[in-house]
Amino acid sequence: MAKTKYKAQLYPGNTLPAKNRRRFMDSSVKLEKLRDIPMDDVVKILGHRVPGSDYATIHAPLAEGNEPDCPIRALVEPMEGAKKGDRIRYVQFTDSVYWAPIVPYVRAQMYMCRYRGIDTGTLSGRQIIEMRERDVEKVAKELIDGETFDTARTGIRGATVHGHAVRLDENGMMFDAWQRFRWNAKKGEVEYVKDQVGVPLDKPVAVGKPMPEKWLKEHTTMFRADGVDMREDEEVMRQNLRIHTLRTKCGFKPFDVKED
Amino acid sequence: MSTPAFEGVPLPEIQIFPERLLMASTTEVLLNKLYAVKNVRQINIQGEGLPAVIKAGPGTGGPVNHPERRKIKVRGEDIELKIQVGRVFVEIADIDFVPQALKDIEEVCKEVLPFSFTLEVGRYNKFKPTTTDYNKGLVK
Repeated sequence: MAKTKYKAQLYPGNTLPAKNRRRFMDSSVKLEKLRDIPMDDVVKILGHRVPGSDYATIHAPLAEGNEPDCPIRALVEPMEGAKKGDRIRYVQFTDSVYWAPIVPYVRAQMYMCRYRGIDTGTLSGRQIIEMRERDVEKVAKELIDGETFDTARTGIRGATVHGHAVRLDENGMMFDAWQRFRWNAKKGEVEYVKDQVGVPLDKPVAVGKPMPEKWLKEHTTMFRADGVDMREDEEVMRQNLRIHTLRTKCGFKPFDVKED
Repeated sequence: MSTPAFEGVPLPEIQIFPERLLMASTTEVLLNKLYAVKNVRQINIQGEGLPAVIKAGPGTGGPVNHPERRKIKVRGEDIELKIQVGRVFVEIADIDFVPQALKDIEEVCKEVLPFSFTLEVGRYNKFKPTTTDYNKGLVK
């Protein structure tokens, strides 16, 4: 079979949010690393297992060869966690509407372009990733260390995520009814005092300083009336309208859809 | 904050809408200063609820210990603040006093709030008991 020459366009538009979205989605672009949170601290925040403990399994390692023959198995290289038979575990991020570096829908698009062995779900203010346990830990660390995460405006919240559309507090932190993370005024940084489901941690986990407002606005993926309005980007509007029209028409009478 | 008897007519309220959610300490100072403004009849506050205990997930039943959920002193009275305040409604004793009260409240807000805010005049809360209040036994 001839190899198709195809280069993914990823996202339309030439405005700043459009370019940033494209950057996040482009797996050939290495994202900026802003901090280095130790893996044990990430594991503590996730709260699925005690750092250093063994991974619980749900099936025998694939190397034992108990699986039936299957052409898909022969085709797809299993993830590390799948090879070992890990449980499925999750991490969930909440992004504030007040200039968080990324938004849930773009997270979904980015994850699908960058990671495999992933099941992700989009909601209005949060985005969940389900993966094999050791793989989700690696991805969580990469995301927390990277530029999609701002310590004050992105939250790691497994439940009771409310706060993404609420005004920030006096310290510029996103509201959290369970107060999983807090502002440490002495150190000038944010620290987690509870894991993602609100279980208190033995000692606070520092995740670093919030990014400055200027940086957030330069790295934004949000189209906002008080920033770059989506209507300013003709190509994005055209693409969105096309998708909207097609999904409406295709649900109604697909045989009638005619496009160039 | 206080529940004076129904006046017979809906009285005007001045809504203070700060750019940020207020800390308990700021709320305490703001409320005390607002009560010192002339012709302020009562103040209602609204904001994001701060639960005392976790009600979902593996941590269910555990304490939240949110530092902003605490007792504050308003006009010498201890009040348990269970929300992070986002809006403050100041009821004025008569519509004729509103222009002066607006100026005074703006002064207070400029002094207390280190960020921007908006003031708006209207009626935002119920001004007489509702059927639900009777059902709940809140009206005697």
